[in-house]
Amino acid sequence: MTNGASGVLLVVETRDGAIRDTSRELFGIGRTLASETGGSLAAVVLGSGLDAAASEAAALGADRVLVADAPELAAFTVDAYAKAVDAAIDATGPALVLLAGTTGGRDLAPFLATRRDAAYLVDCIRIGRQDGAWVGTRPVYQGKVLTEVRAAGDGLTFATIHAGAFEAPELEPGRTAETTPLELSFAPGEIRVTVKDLVQAEAGPSNLEQAEVVVVGGRGLGEAANFKLAEDLAAVLGGAVGATRAVTDLGWRPHYEQVGQTGKTIAPKLYIGLGVSGAVQHTVGIRGSETIVAINRDPDAPIFKMADFGIVGDVQEIAPKLTEKLRAVRGG
Amino acid sequence: MKIVVLVKQVPDPNAVRFDPRAGDIQSGTPQVANEYDLHAMEAAIQIKEQQGDVEIVAVSLGQARETLNRCLAMGADRAIVVEDAALASGDSAVTAKALAAVLRAEGFDLILVGQETSDGGTGSVGPALAALLDVPVVSNVVALEKQDGRLTVQREIEDGRQVIDLAPPAILCALSGLNEPRYPSLKGIMAARRKPTEAKSAADLGLADDAAQSRVSWGQLFVEEETAEGIILKDVDADSAVDQLVAFLQERKLV
Repeated sequence: MTNGASGVLLVVETRDGAIRDTSRELFGIGRTLASETGGSLAAVVLGSGLDAAASEAAALGADRVLVADAPELAAFTVDAYAKAVDAAIDATGPALVLLAGTTGGRDLAPFLATRRDAAYLVDCIRIGRQDGAWVGTRPVYQGKVLTEVRAAGDGLTFATIHAGAFEAPELEPGRTAETTPLELSFAPGEIRVTVKDLVQAEAGPSNLEQAEVVVVGGRGLGEAANFKLAEDLAAVLGGAVGATRAVTDLGWRPHYEQVGQTGKTIAPKLYIGLGVSGAVQHTVGIRGSETIVAINRDPDAPIFKMADFGIVGDVQEIAPKLTEKLRAVRGG
Repeated sequence: MKIVVLVKQVPDPNAVRFDPRAGDIQSGTPQVANEYDLHAMEAAIQIKEQQGDVEIVAVSLGQARETLNRCLAMGADRAIVVEDAALASGDSAVTAKALAAVLRAEGFDLILVGQETSDGGTGSVGPALAALLDVPVVSNVVALEKQDGRLTVQREIEDGRQVIDLAPPAILCALSGLNEPRYPSLKGIMAARRKPTEAKSAADLGLADDAAQSRVSWGQLFVEEETAEGIILKDVDADSAVDQLVAFLQERKLV
């Protein structure tokens, strides 16, 4: 890459022809960073059936929209998506490629950065330019602490953006951008994996997404049987029970109760986390909650940073007392 | 068939505490095997148990003797460790380049690795290796079956689970939903003592002098000032904490 590269290229993922929320969140920060390079904001929109998504990218502030619309891009594969983004990089020559920190973005960015021998800043909650270098802030040690990561900025750089770190800009209806299709043809065998099916998460009997109160149990509950603590508390509050990915992975609870990036997104009036540490995977799914209460033994658990009310202590001792007290209050 | 499992030894995530004076985690934090890597290891052993003619090689970069011993006791046939401090402290691109050198020398049909580590947690090594070694990668793997020389894997994504068919050679990045890693048996621990662990240096791998040069640097660790006006009770007895919480919920008209 030349030192003269400028501008930002956004990698925009879609679902059912609409831009994903996590990709919408790239546009505001992308615009800011593009001006810092003295360049423009381009977006490559990926998927299948993208007329609406392409207009939306313009309405969100892209100066130039490249549309990678192909049946091969209907389902995510590294091979197909990398080919499309690669072509978009060649067409736009950006200083920075921004991707959402989705499962796909977190695959694509290191894959492409490695192929192009470029620097890659992972999972940034903040990102900016300082004296020509790209400086990001990212959570490490499972979100317990932050660090500043820095890349020289003397060539093409990649960055993924932490879900929820930036707000999507307001749509400007009627705003247009130079929109061009990205011509792609895939040779047989070029996409080395075949996506045969997408199994939707089982909806299950849970009403998690509608419930006004959600009690989520995490691995800090200690064992599957202790989920009774979450069930009892949810029952007295008339709420639903949810689980973290660690818990569903362990098989303590069904997948349809999982809340987080690869589970359900919830926005209850009251969220109570029992033994939930607050890993990023989980917190992106609860940030719409109006009031967040956390009970956890670990004072450094990241959940306490977003909690309105937290108790550092033994959840197995505190949860039954809380249920009992609430039962008395509500009964009386 | 040869399966290479990439493992890392990390500070025990349950014991990690921030030391504000050092701008780092507390020194002397006990080290453990990165959890996702143990699921990758277990997946390799299950393939071997199913089809027999499999060699499993556990590979690590940095201090990892205990973790590699654990892998050998679980069922790996041998281990390779690259104990090069400069490489081990590099960014994930450096890690990937060093591991790629091992993998090229070693050869492989399948590479299994944890989705991410609990320390740096970039989740980048699998996809970066795919680029360096020119093999397909599937991340976030929660199910894996090998049949008639092909692999069927399930990949957990935002919309559900992709069911994917592919042929080795390939790289798969494991999540903990994939399996339940076994504890080493006494017999396994005894057997591990006779299994070889080979140490390699950067020179052995033919890595250039600049191979340890990171493109991305890390600063000191820090925590954000508590911005939320959240009430956090510490060292308060359970009854009093519950009373305060209930009062808080009543004030917000949530109960």
